[in-house]
Formats: sequence, C-alpha cells, structure tokens
Amino acid sequence: MKLLEIKNINKSFLNKKVLDGINLEIESGEISSIFGYSGEGKSTMLKIICGILKQDRGDVILNAKNINNLESYERRTPLVMDEPLLFPNMNVIENIEFGLKLNLNKRNSINNIGKNKKLFYSPKEIMELLGITGLEKRYPSEISMGQAQRVSLARALIVNPDIILMDEPFSNLDIISKIKVRRLIKDINRELKISILLVTHDIEDVVNLSDKMFILNNGKIQDSGHPKEVLKKPSSIDTAFLLGTENILGGVISGIDPDNNLIKIKVKVRNENTEYIEYNKKADAGVIIEADFQGNFEIGEQVFLAVRPEEIIILREDRQASKPVRENRFSGKIISSIFTSRMMEISIKSEENLELKVLIPFHAYEVMHLFEGKTVNVSLKKSSIHLIKKKKTVKDSISP
Amino acid sequence: MPLNKNRIFDILVYIISFLFFATLILLLSGIFFQTSIHLFMKELKDAGLWNSIFLSFKLSFIVILINLIIGIPIAYVLSFKKSKISFLLDIISALPLTTSPLVIGFAVLITMGSLNPIGKFFIDNGIKFVFTPQGIVLVQLIISFPFFVNIVKTSFDSINRKMLDLSKTLGASSFDVLFKIIIPLSYNGIIAGLAMSWSRSIGEYAATQMISGVIPKITETAPIEVFVKTSYGNYPAAITIAGILMIISLFFLGIFKYFNYKIKTNV
Repeated sequence: MKLLEIKNINKSFLNKKVLDGINLEIESGEISSIFGYSGEGKSTMLKIICGILKQDRGDVILNAKNINNLESYERRTPLVMDEPLLFPNMNVIENIEFGLKLNLNKRNSINNIGKNKKLFYSPKEIMELLGITGLEKRYPSEISMGQAQRVSLARALIVNPDIILMDEPFSNLDIISKIKVRRLIKDINRELKISILLVTHDIEDVVNLSDKMFILNNGKIQDSGHPKEVLKKPSSIDTAFLLGTENILGGVISGIDPDNNLIKIKVKVRNENTEYIEYNKKADAGVIIEADFQGNFEIGEQVFLAVRPEEIIILREDRQASKPVRENRFSGKIISSIFTSRMMEISIKSEENLELKVLIPFHAYEVMHLFEGKTVNVSLKKSSIHLIKKKKTVKDSISP
Repeated sequence: MPLNKNRIFDILVYIISFLFFATLILLLSGIFFQTSIHLFMKELKDAGLWNSIFLSFKLSFIVILINLIIGIPIAYVLSFKKSKISFLLDIISALPLTTSPLVIGFAVLITMGSLNPIGKFFIDNGIKFVFTPQGIVLVQLIISFPFFVNIVKTSFDSINRKMLDLSKTLGASSFDVLFKIIIPLSYNGIIAGLAMSWSRSIGEYAATQMISGVIPKITETAPIEVFVKTSYGNYPAAITIAGILMIISLFFLGIFKYFNYKIKTNV
C-alpha cells in the first residue's frame, strides 16, 4: 500500500533550483532512503514532507490525503535529525512525553482502526525497546550522544506516526552507537510497523537498512530501486560515480551472442595522460572483455563497464582455477595496497595498462602472501560485469 | 620579579580601572557624607517621602507588567519572524534608547495635549495622559521597553532553530512552541529584562517630569521628589530619597547581572 507519494515537487532558493520535479512513492512498512551528496536538497525534501518548508510546486500525499495545506504540527511526520536536539529544559522522560501530551486530545480522532497497529505505546514500552530505561530523570546534558539520539527517536515514536523522517541520524555518532542505532531502527520498523524515510550521504546506511533507495542528484531522482540492485547495476554512469563504483571502464560493443549468453566489449585502456576514461575511436588497441548477455545493446555502441571492486577475484597460485575464475583473466602488478578499517584495498595494473581496484579481506591478503609490486592473476567474472549505456540522460534512467 | 612589558600592561589596566571605580563609588556615595544616621532616620518617617517611593513602585510595576505582555510578542517578531522589514522594526523599537528622554516626554506631552487631534481623541473618550499617572506609565513604558525587548530578543536568538522546527513535527503548534519551549528556555532573559526595565522605569526623571506636571501625591515620583526637595533646599530629604533609589538600583542591577550571567552559561 502506498503510504507517501511525492508528486512533482519543485523548490528554489534565491533562483537556484534545488528540487526539480521530484517524484517518490513510499510503501507502507518499508525503510526507504534518499541518497545523495551533501547540498543536493535531501534535507530540503524532508522539510517539505514534514511541512517546515513549503514547496514551490507539487503535492505531498500521505495516506491518500493531500497534506499540502496542513501545518507541520498537523501532519504527524516527526523528524529525527543529525543532532538529538532534545529540549534542554526538560529531562529525558519529559522530552519523550512532549509529543504525547500535545497529541493527547487528538488521540481519538486519529484513524488507525484496522491497521493492525496499537494505538499508542507507553513511554515505558518505548524506552525499553530503545534500551534507555533508567535515564528518565536525567537531563540532556547528562547523557551521551548515542543515548540522546535514542531519546530523540523515542520522542518521535511516542506520537505513533505512520512514518518517521530521519535526516542523517547517524552522522554524529561513534561507530559503536551507530551500529546500535541502526539495529534499533530496523527493530522499530519491524516491530512497530512504522515506515521510515532516511536521508543519508553514507551508502553503508542505505545498504544496511533500506528496502528501497532513491538517488538524488542535481535536484532530480536519478535512480531508484532495491539498494543491492542499484549498487550492482547502476543505470547510468552518473549513478555509478555517485555510488563510488570504482572500476568504470569505457569500451565499445564488439560482439553479441544471446544464444551463448555472451556479449563482448572492447575496452580502451586507461591512457597515462588523461584523467578520465574516454573511448577514443582512433585508437583501435584495446582489451576484449566478455560479459553475460545484457539486452538493448548493438554492435559498435559505446558503453561503460562497471565492476564492483569486491567482485574481482585474485587467483591463488596454489590452486586449480574453477570455471568462473577462468573468465576474463589478466595478469597485473599490485601497485598499491591500503589497509582500510575492514578490507584491503588493492590497485592492480595489468600488462595491458588496465587499472583495477580490488577489495579483499585482510586474512586473504595475508594467506596469499600479497605485497606491493607482486604480479598476480585476476579474473573478472562475466556475471559481475554490468554494462551502462554511454549516452543515457538522467531522465531516461528513472525506472517506471 | 622582572618588570617586563606584560607586567607593565597589567599594572596599567589595573590602575586605570581602579581609579575609575574609586571615582565612581566616591561620587555616588558622597551624598551619604553630608547626612547622618539620625537625619536619615528622621526623614524616613516623613509620609511624603514614602508616598513618592510607593507611587514610583506602583507605576513601575504596572510598566513592567505591560512590558511583559507586549514585550514578548515584539521580541518574538524581532527574533523569529525575520523579514526585509525586521531591520526597520529593530531600529524603531530601539529608537527610545538613543532619543533623549526629555524629547520623548515632550513628544508625548504635545501629542496627548488637548490641541492635538490624537490627544483630543483620547480626552474625548475619557482617557487623560497629560499630568496623570497613566501619562507617566505611558512615557516610562516607551523608555523602558527597548531594554526588555532587546534582552529577551537576545535570549530568543540563542535558541536552536532546528530544535524548534523539530518540535513542530512532533505536533507542537506555535502556541505550544512559545509556552513550552521558548519561554521556559528564556526565563533568565525575561527576568533579566524585567529587572533592567524596572530599574530604568523607577529611576526615570526627565520624561516623567515633562508629562507629570509635578502634582504632589498624584504624579510626584521619587526622582521628581529628589529634584523638588533639592530646589527647596531640603537636602536631608533629597539625600534620603536618592539613597533609597540608589540601593534599589543596586539590588536590581544585581538581579540583572546574575541572570544575565546565567543566560550566557546556560546556552
């Protein structure tokens, strides 16, 4: 069931168009994310939904009711922001009960019948769920950031909304609180059947939490769908760049064979002198890469290839290669390896001058005795290669 | 200890400050050197003195009550409803701070006089401002409200706007936001503003004298009484009233400073 519909929202600030015809649909009971860089109007979008800002044009429809003309206090779309923003003049329990007291009179008029949803949860129940029992009498200055953010969440939950809007709720939390709060948000969504619209610039939040993601770029929804699908198969080169897809190669289709589930691409290797990958018609030299068949391409068409760094396989010297790892094999040298918090990030330059980024677990890096300067064999699985049309405009990429 | 540049600097600033404080204290407390406890106590028994002080208290109390009622909405508009004309509003509301009180008193005297159409309107409707206590309340209000509004506005300005926006999404209307969040968070500012405007109003002389007509027992406030007693040559009485006024100012200044410090440390 559609819970929230955003129709053709436009918003400008001082002649600068921030939102340009945004359309969104959010299903009941889901966690949806709006992903985009800072300053792309994500927060503006949320402020329009909850009524803090008025849109220039367009409609906000909640529960099949147009709420354009409702003030924010009438909308029941509580906001959770990057800071907890607790009321400093109230203690924790007073903060949590703030919305409850305001909504006391409206309780009976809220139509929740037949929704399999408890009318209102008591502050005690909510505090228990969020693990902040015992903090009732403390003041906001006396609790930690992680606890404060959970109180902020409780304060939003108490009004029993259909949807909670979250604006970068994790950005000020340390990594441990972040993981805790993330899990809590999942629990809330599942147990209280409250939908969540999350705005974030961190792709981890999106992948971790959401059932559906929207990519906001240049004031437009550029891509949408299940995060895994969007991440693996970005529909445009812009999306791929935005999502941090690191291995993007330019090429041209050189052969199509749907019967054998095969498509061949001639890839132009990275020129030392150009920073961007650009297919050059004059240069015929290139590497042929095979991929699983993907529809809608013709021979001679210019395309981009995207491969996620964790899908590239470094072959072990001591083992017989299985079938998939024999596909698209290259030999190359490790030119750099960086230890990130969880994985090793390795750059490999092949003999054909093809540069690839590979992510492998740290223990694998050790077991395989890898080091900078070592020559290794890598394989690009056919199934891991995703083709993107080169001349795809932003408008075309919005999936219907 | 070597006398380096920093030490010379410290010594200089201390000497200048000390000289200033000493001069000020001597000047103000000097009036007590010309009286004795006996004279002071004798004057305290004078009913006329208490009449004027009581009148000053009564009128200034009415003034701060009105300040409270109209000052909070004005501070709200100045702080939260920022628009192209807020700069203009800010100037208008602060104008009495820079205008001579005498001029304000004079303006009210002329405007509210029977020859002026505005004054005539009020007089026809039975409200007289010239030579009446309500006239005093009016001028003192004009003179003291910028103090109140400015302090309260500063206090409002320090409230996190994102927090207020968020409270609206939890179901708080503008009334709820004002009474449950803004005002509780501004108690210190409001009390500091009241103390400031009260002491301003209770000590106000020039504008008050313009409109009061100096009618004994009706419009003779304490500062006016000081002037009247001085002009009769009754110095002991003038000194007593002046001393009491000074003690009152000191007391309210103390309150103001205390809560003003709290505003700064709270936020």
